[in-house]
Amino acid sequence: MSVAERVELPPVPVGLAAAPAGAGIHQHVDPSTPRWLLPLAHALVVVNRGVMVLGMIALVAAALILASSVVTRYFLHASTDWQDEAAVFCLVGATFLCSAFVQAIRGHVGIEAVSSLLPERVNRVRILLVDVGCLAFCAFFAWKSCTLLHEAWSEGQTTSSSWAPPLWIPYLLMSAGMLLLSVQLLVQCAVSANRLRLPRGAR
Amino acid sequence: MSMLVLGLLFGAVTLLVMFSGMPVAFSLGSVGVLFMAIFMPASSLDTVTQNVYEEMSSITLLSIPLFILKGAAIGRTRAGQDLYAAMHAWMGRIPGGLGIANVFACALFAAMAGSSPATCSAIGSAGIPEMRRRGYSPGFAAGIIAAGGTLGILLPPSVTMILYAVAAEQSLGRLFLAGIGPGVLLVMLFAVWAAVNYRREYRAAKRDFEAVGNASPLLADEHFSMRERFALLPRVLPFLILLTGVMVALYGGFATPSETAGLGSLLALALIAIIYGVWRVRDLAPILSATLKESTMLMFIIGMSLLFSYVMSYLHISQSMAQWIVALALSRWMLLAAILAMVIVMGFFLPPVSIILMTAPIFLPPLKAAGFDLVWFGVVMTIVMEAGLIHPPVGLNLFVIKNIAPDIALGDIIRGVIPFVVLMLLTVVLISAFPSIATALPDLVMGPLAHSH
Repeated sequence: MSVAERVELPPVPVGLAAAPAGAGIHQHVDPSTPRWLLPLAHALVVVNRGVMVLGMIALVAAALILASSVVTRYFLHASTDWQDEAAVFCLVGATFLCSAFVQAIRGHVGIEAVSSLLPERVNRVRILLVDVGCLAFCAFFAWKSCTLLHEAWSEGQTTSSSWAPPLWIPYLLMSAGMLLLSVQLLVQCAVSANRLRLPRGAR
Repeated sequence: MSMLVLGLLFGAVTLLVMFSGMPVAFSLGSVGVLFMAIFMPASSLDTVTQNVYEEMSSITLLSIPLFILKGAAIGRTRAGQDLYAAMHAWMGRIPGGLGIANVFACALFAAMAGSSPATCSAIGSAGIPEMRRRGYSPGFAAGIIAAGGTLGILLPPSVTMILYAVAAEQSLGRLFLAGIGPGVLLVMLFAVWAAVNYRREYRAAKRDFEAVGNASPLLADEHFSMRERFALLPRVLPFLILLTGVMVALYGGFATPSETAGLGSLLALALIAIIYGVWRVRDLAPILSATLKESTMLMFIIGMSLLFSYVMSYLHISQSMAQWIVALALSRWMLLAAILAMVIVMGFFLPPVSIILMTAPIFLPPLKAAGFDLVWFGVVMTIVMEAGLIHPPVGLNLFVIKNIAPDIALGDIIRGVIPFVVLMLLTVVLISAFPSIATALPDLVMGPLAHSH
C-alpha cells in the first residue's frame, strides 16, 4: 500500500467547493449540549441566522458602493472620498459578525493531521483543550475590542480621512462579532466537555 | 534571552499550537498574544485589537470577499458546465481535444472565479464524468482537473496575489499582469501533456482492441455540427466579455482593484440573473452565505497572520532570521532554491494565505538584497504554492476531486497529478531562466519598473 492510499480525508477542507453543500444559513443545536445551556444554544442559532442575513446585506452593499464609485468618478466627475471607507466598514463588519456562525459549523480550518492518530478518548480531551484555548483568545480579543470601542466613543475618535466617519462604528461591529464568537465558543466548550462523559464510540 | 533561543521558542510554540488542531486563525492570534504578554511591554496588549483592525481595514485586502462573491456567483450556477460544453464542442476534433478543452475551461473559469477549489468543482463535476465516459483513465481525468484548478491562484484576480501585493508592498496591478504570461505558459504545457498522454492511452486502447477485441470508448469518433457549436456560444460569451471588461476597467485606469472587485461581483450577479434566472432571494442566499463562510474564514486567518508577523517583527525575530539568511552568503540561485524549498514544506500544512503573510518579512529582505525582482518572485512563489495545492499530504484540490468523484482512489488521483506537478516545477525553472515570461507584460502595459540595481 503506498503512502498515498493511507492519506485520511479531512472532514472540511478549505474552500467554497467544500463548504457544506446547500447548507445555507441553517445550523443545528448539537445533541450533546448540556440541558441547562439549551436555551442559549437555541438563541445562538437564531442570532447567528439574523447576523448572516446582515452580513449578506453588507456584502451586497459593499459591492454596490464600490461599483457606484467608479460610475460617479467617471461619468459625474464627483469625488469619491467616502466609498472606500464605507465599503471597508461593511466588509469588516460582515467578517467579524459572521465569525460566530462560521465557528458554529466548525468552518475555521485547522491542521487536523494529528486527530486521526489519537485514540478516541484522548482526541475528545484534545478537542476540549483546543476549544478552551480558542475561547480564551477570543474572550481576550472581545474584551480588548470593547475597551477600544469605549475609548473611541468617549473621545469621539474619527478616521483620518477627509470624510472622517466616527471610529466607534467599525469598533462596535468588531466588539459585537467577537462577543458573539466568544459566546458560541463557550457553548461549544460545554458540548466538548459533555462529550467526555459519553461512552466509547458514541457520537 | 538570546535571539536564537527566542526564535526557536517562538517557532516551537507555533508548531505545537498549530498541530494541536486549533483553527489556524486562532492559533496564530493566541501565539502572538502569548508572546506579547511575556516579552513585550504591557501596553502593547492594549492595542492588539487596534492593530488587527488597522491592518485588516485595508480596502485592497477587503476586495477579497468581493472577488470570492464573484467566483461564487459564477461557480454555483451552471456556468462552469456550459463553458465546459462549449470548449468540448469546439475542440472535440483535435486528438486529445477533450482533455485540452478541460484544461482551457479550467483556465478560463479560474480567471473568472479566482478560486482554485471552486474551479475544480465547477469544471470537474462536468468534465471528469465526461472524460471517463470517453475512456480517459480516471487518474488522468482527475489530474487534468486538479492541475487546471490551480491556475485560479495564478491568473488574475487571485486572492493569493492580493495578499502578496500587500505583504511585499508591490503594485497589485503589476502582479496580476505578471501572472498572465506564466499562466498561459502553464496552460500550454498542461495542454501538451494532455495531448501526449491521450495518444499514449489511445495507443494502449488500440493495442487492446486489436489483441482482445475490447473496444474502448477512447477509439470512438465524435462530431459536433457547426450549428451545435454556435448554439453553445450565447451562454458563454457574456462571461468572457465580463472577464475582459473587468480587466479593461482595471488596466485602463478606470477602477482600482477593489472597485474592480465590486463591479465584477455585481456584473457576475447580473449575468447569472439574466442567463440562468438566478435572482430570487432563495437562489441568492446560498451564494452569499457560501461567500461569507469562506471569506470570514480567510479574513480571520489574514488578520491574525498580520498580528503574528507584527509580534515576530517587534521581537526582531523576522529581522534576525532575515539577517541570518543573508549572512549565509548563499549564491543567488541557492538562496532562491532554499526559500522555495521552505515554501513547499510549509505548503504541506498551511494555506497559501498564511504562508505569504508569515514568511514575507523573513524571505523578502534577503531576496531583495540578492537583486531579485519582488514582483517576479511573487509569481514564482505563487506557482510553487499552486503545486502545493495538488501534492500530498494536504493538497486541497485532491480532496475537492475526491468529493466530486468519490469512486476514484486517492492513489490514482495522486498518480495522475504528479506529471502536472513536474510541469509546474519546470515552469518555475523556465521563469527563472527567462524572467521576462513574467515581467514583459507588466513592463509593456505599465512601463518598466525603476530597478534599484
